Amino acid sequence: MPRHIKIGLIVLVIGFGVSFGFFVDVIGRIQSMVNEREIEENPFTPPAQPLYEATDPPMSVKIFFPGGSDDALLTTEEQTIFKSADVTNRAKQVLQKLLEGPHSEKLYPSLPEGTKLQDLFVSEQGIAFIDFSNTIAVNHPGGVLNEMATIYSIVDSLGYNLPEIKQVKILIGGTEKETLAGHCLLLLPFQMDLSMTDVMPHEEKTAAFSGPPSAKP
Amino acid sequence: MSTKRIVLLVAALGAALFIFGRPSRAADGNFPIYFEGAKLVVKAQTTNRTLYLPVIEIIEFMGLPYTDSLALETLTIRSGNSRLVVTKNSGLISINDQIVFLPSPILRENDHWLAPIDFLSRGLTRMTRTEFRYRPGTSRIFAGVVQVPELVMNAQSLGSITRLTIRCGVPVDLKLRRDEQNNRAILMVGRAVDPLRERLDHKDRLVRSISFDDSDGDPKILIDLTNQVADIKLNSTDGNRIFFVDLLRKGETITEAPVPAETPGASPKVDPTQAARRVRVIVIDPGHGGMDTGTKSPTVLEKDLTLSLARKLRTALQMRLGATVLLTRDSDIAMDNEARSAVANNNQANLFVSLHAGYSSNKLDSGSSVYMMKEDFGDGFATAAVSRDRLFLPWYLGYRLNQQASARAAKILQDELIKAISGSRFPIRTAPLAVLSSATMPSLLLEVGNLNNTVNASTLTDDGFQKRLVGAIADAIRIFSETEQRSAN
Ligand SMILES: [Zn+2]
Repeated sequence: MPRHIKIGLIVLVIGFGVSFGFFVDVIGRIQSMVNEREIEENPFTPPAQPLYEATDPPMSVKIFFPGGSDDALLTTEEQTIFKSADVTNRAKQVLQKLLEGPHSEKLYPSLPEGTKLQDLFVSEQGIAFIDFSNTIAVNHPGGVLNEMATIYSIVDSLGYNLPEIKQVKILIGGTEKETLAGHCLLLLPFQMDLSMTDVMPHEEKTAAFSGPPSAKP
Repeated sequence: MSTKRIVLLVAALGAALFIFGRPSRAADGNFPIYFEGAKLVVKAQTTNRTLYLPVIEIIEFMGLPYTDSLALETLTIRSGNSRLVVTKNSGLISINDQIVFLPSPILRENDHWLAPIDFLSRGLTRMTRTEFRYRPGTSRIFAGVVQVPELVMNAQSLGSITRLTIRCGVPVDLKLRRDEQNNRAILMVGRAVDPLRERLDHKDRLVRSISFDDSDGDPKILIDLTNQVADIKLNSTDGNRIFFVDLLRKGETITEAPVPAETPGASPKVDPTQAARRVRVIVIDPGHGGMDTGTKSPTVLEKDLTLSLARKLRTALQMRLGATVLLTRDSDIAMDNEARSAVANNNQANLFVSLHAGYSSNKLDSGSSVYMMKEDFGDGFATAAVSRDRLFLPWYLGYRLNQQASARAAKILQDELIKAISGSRFPIRTAPLAVLSSATMPSLLLEVGNLNNTVNASTLTDDGFQKRLVGAIADAIRIFSETEQRSAN
């Protein structure tokens, strides 16, 4: 074999070796970044637990969706969840119904396509902290009225059906955001507001509820 | 032969990246932790993109006893009957024998225990009930029940003066000191605050930089001056919640500076509703901008539509009212809502109107509405029970001062719009609008049309329609100005 070809081959082999090493390192680093990201986002990845037990009785709820009426921004639709012991699980079921969208053709979905519920936590003071995926903001079509429909469909659906929940704080992608689509301030928690809906506040529920809200274990 | 060279080059590049491309350690920095009535400044360091704090200094400051076991490589912290154990290089900590995960491991370097910042909330809080509040990206922590108001800064060049406006959620006692040697003005804040922005992107003939600094535990605002600054005036209003720092240029006197006549500087008590009677300064806010396009139709972007309407409205108002009309943006740039209302606040505007275009899932909806700030917004958030859950209370609920005047303006605007655009409905609604929440004058948001409807979208871009719309808004503002003046007299 001529000498210059031999040298060429050796250089090629060394070059390949170093490039391969570099490649492995890059892959490893990307992997570790991905792992880190996963840990950062949810350090307590809970095991997939059912939101209700087989023995939990059904519970009729009103889910708020936009459309259906000229006078009201939100119209309710009767749906059924299961009365799980933990208010967090009941809240998750209500939001599940909201994410699935309305049954009636007259109503519109209130959450943008691809929105995921990442986490939900109810504090001792009765503030529900809800963390949605970034898609709730990215895929939002915009407009004040539309943004109101998204926010208050969440706040009213929870507040109306679960009196334990006094206020709702919306987080996006795990962090506090100033607004959802540029208009409505998310920095403060929201309170239920039925003035823009087709239902009246039900006194009996709020009156029957006294004492501190049930603490989350 | 050239292939060989390329191979060599690639190999060398790969090797270089392999050796030098390792994640590096960021610089260390001072990190104040504010407790009630006391503060501790620790040195923080960033390792593997995680912020680490020295554990021993913090627990000693909190008066917690501990045992540092070199043999076991563990640190045991006690509080009452509780026990917290951390282990070197482990992200698992034990609190009363319950395991808690940290996103990054505990480190022990040069005899110092270092913990990721989450250790405070996930570890110490569970043991001591002391809450730690930290906003990612900032370099300070608030601990326990310490109440921390937000601090907002905004700077503006006003001809021969530069005005820095500072707002705080509670009354503060700002002290101005001039450091001639370093050509710098220092404003001591005198209490723990949470600055919304650490640094202002403002530079002009008088100011080189404006920044917040509390790295030594003493919160202050640093203004780096150019050598053209002659005098600095500090005025306060709204019960020491709002401060104006006016930098005066050499060769100018205060009377020549174009400070609005009603600058509430002389007396600390100015009734903003009185000052806002006659509409002389109007700030128009074209919604969205830059990356934030707002809502859209296949052919129209909300940000373009609002800017076009705002420019037309400015011309109409200047002609009909002879008023000073300012736009929050006059180009395609992104702005946050705080900065938009700050333009109105800093210019002591008598009316603030934000322009938007609507979108409704229902294509047949008209989409148009006149919005006011939701009246009960911010209620009940100041109660102790709630503020514990809230990390950062808003610094101001300025809209409340002018809610009634805003309602009068909304009604006039609705009437004029319905008159000008036949068959239209402009319902008056309230919403928790970020852009209106801190405006300290009568303020409205007008949302027109439904960009989900292509016919509606093309009408909105029609020049004739825009003129009619803008004419109606200008008429409404003129009528509002006249009625307010009359009711003031
Ligand atoms: Zn908009």
